[in-house]
Amino acid sequence: MAQSRLEKIGTIYTRVTGLIKSGALKWEDRPLWYDIYEAFPPKEEPKFDRPAPNLPLKNIFYEEDKIRAVFHKNNKNVGTTNFLDSKHKTITQRFIQIYKTVEAQYDGTASDSQIYQEAIDLLKRDQESRKAEDEISLSSAFKEAQAQESRDKVKINVSDIFKE
Amino acid sequence: MRSLSLLSRKWGSISTARLNSTLTEAQATPDPHKAALAHPDYFSVHNLFTVKDLFDARVHYGHRDGSLDERMLPYVYGSRLGHIIFDLDKTAEYLRRALNVAAHVAYRDGIILFFLRGAQNSHLVEKTAQECGEFAHTRFWRGGIFTNATKQFGAVTRLPDLCIFFNSQNNVLLQHTAVKDAAKMGIATVGVVDSNCNPNLLTYPVPGNDDSPAAVELYCRLFKAAILRGKERRKADFNE
Repeated sequence: MAQSRLEKIGTIYTRVTGLIKSGALKWEDRPLWYDIYEAFPPKEEPKFDRPAPNLPLKNIFYEEDKIRAVFHKNNKNVGTTNFLDSKHKTITQRFIQIYKTVEAQYDGTASDSQIYQEAIDLLKRDQESRKAEDEISLSSAFKEAQAQESRDKVKINVSDIFKE
Repeated sequence: MRSLSLLSRKWGSISTARLNSTLTEAQATPDPHKAALAHPDYFSVHNLFTVKDLFDARVHYGHRDGSLDERMLPYVYGSRLGHIIFDLDKTAEYLRRALNVAAHVAYRDGIILFFLRGAQNSHLVEKTAQECGEFAHTRFWRGGIFTNATKQFGAVTRLPDLCIFFNSQNNVLLQHTAVKDAAKMGIATVGVVDSNCNPNLLTYPVPGNDDSPAAVELYCRLFKAAILRGKERRKADFNE
C-alpha cells in the first residue's frame, strides 16, 4: 500500500486524494476518516504552512473597571474570594452595585470622590449588618454539630462486614 | 524523440481513463455508512454540552500574552489584564465538529488513541479510554511508534484511525511528536490547542484550556459520550 509521509506538503486529505487519483492507493483501501473528512471538512485546512493571520489582540476592559480600580487602590485588604462559589456576590461586585446606584441617584451632579465616599459608607454599613445577621456563638455551633452527627450516624455491624 | 512524445501523450490519456474508472468504481459500490454522513448531527453530539458548561469548566482560560502563538489569534476573544481568553462561541463550534468526527469514527469501528502528557490528568485519560473501549498513550512517546511500527512492535500493526490530543504538547512544552507523525502517516487528528500551541497540523483543532483538571475532565466526558454513542448506533444499525 502506498503512503505519503510528507506532512509539510498539503494536508492528509490532499495527499490521500492524490494517491487515489494516481492509482497508487485503491478506493477500497482509503483511510477510515476519508469519507468523514469529505462530509465534515474542518473549518480551516490543516496545512503545515498556514500563515498566522494579521489580527490584533484586543484588550478586554469594562466600564466597571474604573470603579474597581479606585476601590482596590484605596482598600488593600478586601478579604478572600471563593472562586467556586458563583451564588454569592464578591465584595467588589457589591461595591460596584452600590456605587452605580449612588451615581444614578446623583445623576451627574456630584464629583467622583463624593460618590466614592458615599458608596464606601454604604458598603461599611452593609458589612456591619451582614455581620450582625450571622452571629455565631459557641453553644449554638455545638448544638448544630451534635444534631448533624446524630443525622449522619452510620450503623456498622461487625458480623455483616465480611458477608457477601 | 517523436515516438517518446507520442508515448507521453498516450500515457496521459491512460491515466485519465484510470481516474474515471476509480470514480465510477466508487459510485458503484454502495457505502453502508452513507446515511449517517448525510445527517448533519447523526449522533446528537451537538447537545452534549452548552457554552455555559465550557465556561464552568474554565475552558476559556488561556495562558499569558507573552506565550501566545500568533496562529491561535483567530480563536482568541481578547486579553484580560494579560491573560488570554478564548472565544467560547468559536470553541463550541470546533468542539462540536470534533465530537461529530469522533462519533463517526467510532461508528465505523475505527481505532481511537487518546494522548495527554502531564501527570496530573494522565490517569483520568487512561480511565476514560478504558471506559469507552478505546486506547490511550499518556507516557513517553518513542520516536518510531507510528513511523516504524512493524519493527517496534515486531508484527504488522494497524495504526489508529483517529488521534485525540487532550494536550497537544509534551512535558517540555514542545508539540507532541505524535502530531507530526500522525500527519506523516495520514492519520486524522483532533486536538485541544491552548494559547501556546500550534494548531496547524491538527485536522480538527479545538481551541481551549488544556491544563485545568476541570477542563480535561469535561473533554474526557464529552469524547467518551460521543464515542459510546457512535458505538451504540453501530450496534443498532448493523447488528439488528
